[in-house]
Amino acid sequence: MSFFAPFCLPFMIGAAVMFVLLAWKWGSWLWRLPEADKRLVAKGIFTRATPEAVWETVRESLLHRRIFRIDPLLGYMHMSLAFGWFLLISVGWIETVAYLGLRYVPLQGHVFFKYFATGLPHKPAFDFVMDLLLLLVLSGVALAWFKRLRSRALGMRRTTRHVAGDRVALSALWFIFPARLAAESITCALYGGGSFLTGGLGAWLAAHVGVMPLMTAETVAWWFYSSCLGIFFVALPFSRYMHIFTEIPLIFLRRYRLRSGEKQSSYDHFQVEACSRCGICIDPCQLQSVLKIDTVQSVYFLRDRRYGMLRREVADNCLLCGRCAEKCPVGIDLNTLRVNSRDALRNVPDERRYDYFQGLDRSSGEGRVGYFAGCMTLLTPRTMQSMERIFEAAGERVWWADREGGVCCGRPLKLAGETDSARRMMRYNTELFRKHGITTLVTSCPICLRVFREDYALEGIEVLHHSEYILRLIREGRLPLGRTTERLAYHDPCELGRGSGIYEAPRAVIEAVGELVEPAHTREEALCCGSSLANTAIDDGQQVALARNVAEELDATGAGAIVTACPLCKKALGRGTATEVRDLSEVVAARIRPAAGRATK
Amino acid sequence: MAIEFGYTISKPRAIDIDRNNLRKSDEILREMPELQTCIGCGSCTAVCTAGNLTSFNFRRVHTLVRRGEYRGAYEEMNKCMLCGKCRLVCPRGINTRGVVLLLKRKLGDF
Repeated sequence: MSFFAPFCLPFMIGAAVMFVLLAWKWGSWLWRLPEADKRLVAKGIFTRATPEAVWETVRESLLHRRIFRIDPLLGYMHMSLAFGWFLLISVGWIETVAYLGLRYVPLQGHVFFKYFATGLPHKPAFDFVMDLLLLLVLSGVALAWFKRLRSRALGMRRTTRHVAGDRVALSALWFIFPARLAAESITCALYGGGSFLTGGLGAWLAAHVGVMPLMTAETVAWWFYSSCLGIFFVALPFSRYMHIFTEIPLIFLRRYRLRSGEKQSSYDHFQVEACSRCGICIDPCQLQSVLKIDTVQSVYFLRDRRYGMLRREVADNCLLCGRCAEKCPVGIDLNTLRVNSRDALRNVPDERRYDYFQGLDRSSGEGRVGYFAGCMTLLTPRTMQSMERIFEAAGERVWWADREGGVCCGRPLKLAGETDSARRMMRYNTELFRKHGITTLVTSCPICLRVFREDYALEGIEVLHHSEYILRLIREGRLPLGRTTERLAYHDPCELGRGSGIYEAPRAVIEAVGELVEPAHTREEALCCGSSLANTAIDDGQQVALARNVAEELDATGAGAIVTACPLCKKALGRGTATEVRDLSEVVAARIRPAAGRATK
Repeated sequence: MAIEFGYTISKPRAIDIDRNNLRKSDEILREMPELQTCIGCGSCTAVCTAGNLTSFNFRRVHTLVRRGEYRGAYEEMNKCMLCGKCRLVCPRGINTRGVVLLLKRKLGDF
């Protein structure tokens, strides 16, 4: 039995081109991984990370659990396409084996088996299963078409605007399965076989169309099917569909603990090209929903970066709030990629720029507990005073790192892409902390907190956000508080919630002094106050518009005051509402029972 | 050998806007027109983290650059830590952090 017909050529060429390109891409990316990353891979490959990655691949690359969580219909659409196609290929493989036994069959023999197998006795069970799977995939294609018309029905208010190359690949993909249905049905019309779908359609065709036109139509249909496949395969490595093959190694590498950093590395390729441009990141973006800016979202950022056409305007215009990363079905580390793109666009190390740090030390006080206010807290003196009262009431001896001014933590500069210079600040502050021998470092600024935890090497020093620290004092009974029935609406700062995973501590503290109420978007879904230091592109009016939008939700709770745990959020929200905005520490300091305060003195 | 008195006499100096090359200054203004609303109040400088530790003066650098005096501006600007306090206090709501990055981008070769 020969497995070749001229119509197979487009498919064969397409598949060959695709596999060569894939091998080259994967190979060069892996080859160029930094040595440390290669060691991580070598270390992780024979651990349970590998079977875990296999399971995650099944869950996320075939079944798409994360998309189901966003919208069940959207999840079904993608699952029917991906898992359906996967089953068509694998069951098709089994079908060939069932028909021919274990022998070598070239790739096109498997793919176009219906065409070549007309002379063999039919196996209705396989016909039925294959028709069912084809129907599954076709239902996904139908939903994809429907999504073009009404994306809202599938849980997406906005979808991606695609580039020309993606449109070619997309059209080819959409035609593959209808073309397969047509080709197989016509073959069934001529030679019999098939089940309820191809068989049924074939019987109908046989009854209504003559044999000669059917013969011509068969050749045309198979050529068309093969061409669609060929075009799709050639376009795949250059288009959004590269995600099909990139998400799999990404899952494995992520399980081996590879991460993107502040400098670009070869691992980033896996993240960037794993983006399917599904556009799920567009809806959560407040720049889109409030400010109607629709060219800078993660999907466009990754696209521009991948094709080497990233502009500073796009890279800079992002709050790095992380709302998109929370929803990304591929789990791409969007914020880190944005930061290392900014680094590549801007980083100009200037060794002399911070020479004035030399010998600088304006800290005061003495104690094992250090308090780092951070620049923004210095602008919100009430937070500072409240912290002072809290420390005093708890009888804590405190070393004040920067009450009289100090060096910034470095995160703002890092977020702007000047990562090397930011390192100089980090080194300075680290040395300062070490010099004063603190064992606990408390900060009331989540921006500082995050950089202390992620970028500083502070072994032996416990870094706490003031919400965690205050909660600890309360639990240890060192801070006797009087509870009131005041309703307090809590705003999650991005850097504290999504950034550092601290959701419970500030809530527990609020509940110790009043009644906690939550806005519509809260915790992982919380909105950004709009004044994020990460965005150097939007203007004042736009920041206020974002703040108003957030404050509206907080005001809708009917709370007497808005409470947040970030000095920058406090400043920002204050511009968006008439309601009083307070820092967590203020709320606590106001409820310290005076007697207890005096007793500890 | 001159005697060191611990002070010197400054040379008389005037900024002649007609003579200065304002090309860069115009470019900067084009990219960030909101700079025209600056009233030179100096709030940015009053709260400045870097200005608190060294002689860095954002208001001064900006004013000089706008008048075509670019020398040393890039190095001066590099003292900024980009912490963003200035942006929060600016009464005209100028995106000062954006200004810092813009000045550095435009004046890197001066």
